[in-house]
Amino acid sequence: MNLKVMKTLLWRETWEHRGLIWAPLITAAVIVLTALLSANFTGSVKIDLDGNEQELFAALSTDFSHQRQLFAVWLGALVIPQMLVAMIVLAFYMLDSLYNERKDRSILFWKSMPVSDAETVGSKLATALLLVPLWVWIVSMITSLVVFAIVSLKLGGTPLAPLTTFHPDAWFVLQLTMLQNVLVAALWYAPIAVYLLLMSVYAKRSPFLWAVLPPVLLVIFEEIAFNTSMIAGFISNRLFGFFRELDLNISAGDGTTSASVMQQIARNYEQLGTLDMLATTDLWFGVVAAVIGFFIVVRLRRWRDDA
Amino acid sequence: MGAVIHAHDVRKRYGRSTLALDGLNFDVAAGRIVGLMGPNGAGKTTALKAILGLTPFEGELQVLGRDPRTERDSLMKDVCFIADVAVLPKWLRVDHALDYVAGVHPKFDRQRADDVLSRTDIKRKSKVGELSKGMITQLHLALIMAIDAKLLVLDEPTLGLDLLYRRSFYEALLNDYFDHERTILVTTHQVEEVENLLTDVLFISHGKIVLDSTVDALPSRFSQLVTSSDHVAAARALRPVYEREVFGRHAFVFDISKGGAPTTDELAAWGDVRTPSISDLFVALMNGGNSTGVNSAGVSAGGAR
Repeated sequence: MNLKVMKTLLWRETWEHRGLIWAPLITAAVIVLTALLSANFTGSVKIDLDGNEQELFAALSTDFSHQRQLFAVWLGALVIPQMLVAMIVLAFYMLDSLYNERKDRSILFWKSMPVSDAETVGSKLATALLLVPLWVWIVSMITSLVVFAIVSLKLGGTPLAPLTTFHPDAWFVLQLTMLQNVLVAALWYAPIAVYLLLMSVYAKRSPFLWAVLPPVLLVIFEEIAFNTSMIAGFISNRLFGFFRELDLNISAGDGTTSASVMQQIARNYEQLGTLDMLATTDLWFGVVAAVIGFFIVVRLRRWRDDA
Repeated sequence: MGAVIHAHDVRKRYGRSTLALDGLNFDVAAGRIVGLMGPNGAGKTTALKAILGLTPFEGELQVLGRDPRTERDSLMKDVCFIADVAVLPKWLRVDHALDYVAGVHPKFDRQRADDVLSRTDIKRKSKVGELSKGMITQLHLALIMAIDAKLLVLDEPTLGLDLLYRRSFYEALLNDYFDHERTILVTTHQVEEVENLLTDVLFISHGKIVLDSTVDALPSRFSQLVTSSDHVAAARALRPVYEREVFGRHAFVFDISKGGAPTTDELAAWGDVRTPSISDLFVALMNGGNSTGVNSAGVSAGGAR
């Protein structure tokens, strides 16, 4: 694998799909704007403060350990909308990537260059699983600083002031954790990415329908024929499994003591990392499926002859 | 030196019944400009796709000593092609197109492409979608001509272009690119456009090569007799492979390489004798062969190569 060639191929993807670069920036702008317009929190960390408010934040103001953890949890949660937007944009990107070149016949130009089909397909997969996620990671890193600055200014002097302390060490560890998450997510979502590429290289028209209809029909068929939903469970596990692992949720309603909220904070902090997914057979089963699928996609692009 | 392209019994079937290539046999030597010509649907594009490793086929085919089915990736370092016009994607910016080829092709001379482009009206920040069809072809040619390839394959490169662009396309190809070491294989059905630049012709019809000859050898193989209607019967008796009538004059094409064929002197007795143009030959062998009942495969001799 020639690095200069691969770099060029990755640039090529960003020229064709400007949205891959812009979508994370626009999402970041929306998050910052929301922070500016609202004193409440964004993302999926939700803290319902009621009677316990005084007690909880009084405790937090001296309990630096949990303060650091909460800091990391709410900044980490800011990445979730970024990830969801990126995943939707990437799904459409992958469905287009091997279909448009046949539709506009530019495949004949790409194939006139000394670039192998494996390099081409590999560059598209790397764009979806590494390049864009790393770009999201960088954008999120900066977004978290900006949002933190805004929120600190707004909350300074309020009872929520314990949230406005910046913890450089926790911030740094959080970014490393998020980088790990990027790599784990790349492995976890590899089979979905390859499936979309497969439909993209295979479909004569409408790769979107080709990608969506078969699983939907299979789910309906199973539901009717056997009254079970194993396929649906399998698919939703693959689609949302990563977010189940990253389950961030803190509630402090009536009857919860500040001690229990502290426990929730600690639990959420643990949830920020997803490295333990590497120990599941599910993940590696998916990686094997993705590798097999990759070779099928390469072969189909090599011999597809309808441009 | 070995052949740039060596094809032996190359066959290609689409579906169950359509035989696109029906046993192609030919060799292309280095430093030639070969016109692969045939009517629509004769198998020109399929033959090129086989040579470029874009489609599976049966039989034996060597391009620069490599099998395009299994060694395509290395082959494309030495082979360039313009397959049809307007395959550059609309979203691609001109400067990015240069960046791209410079990034992936080890034999691309960016300076050269820049020089060629600066002689055109093409702006570096334009997208392909904003260029005219002629300009897109200029851009494509500028990219390809800056690649030091051994074999250049052109499939209907000027289709849909106006006369000015067509003319300058072939001029650029001859003056700035061709150096008698490179080999160019061009398909077209606009024969008159390329006949002055070819060194070799390959006529293809129904998936078979029906004429394989150097241009230099054509005068010793074919003669055209133009005569008045008084001598039609006499000319027909000499068994032409093709005849047509234009403004009361009759033109007959003879294959004079066959045994028992009339000599030039015998023909001269009945009218003006000259070497038919490649266009005339093309029409003669493609249409005439069938309409006068002469088996067109009958003229596919080995050629004077």
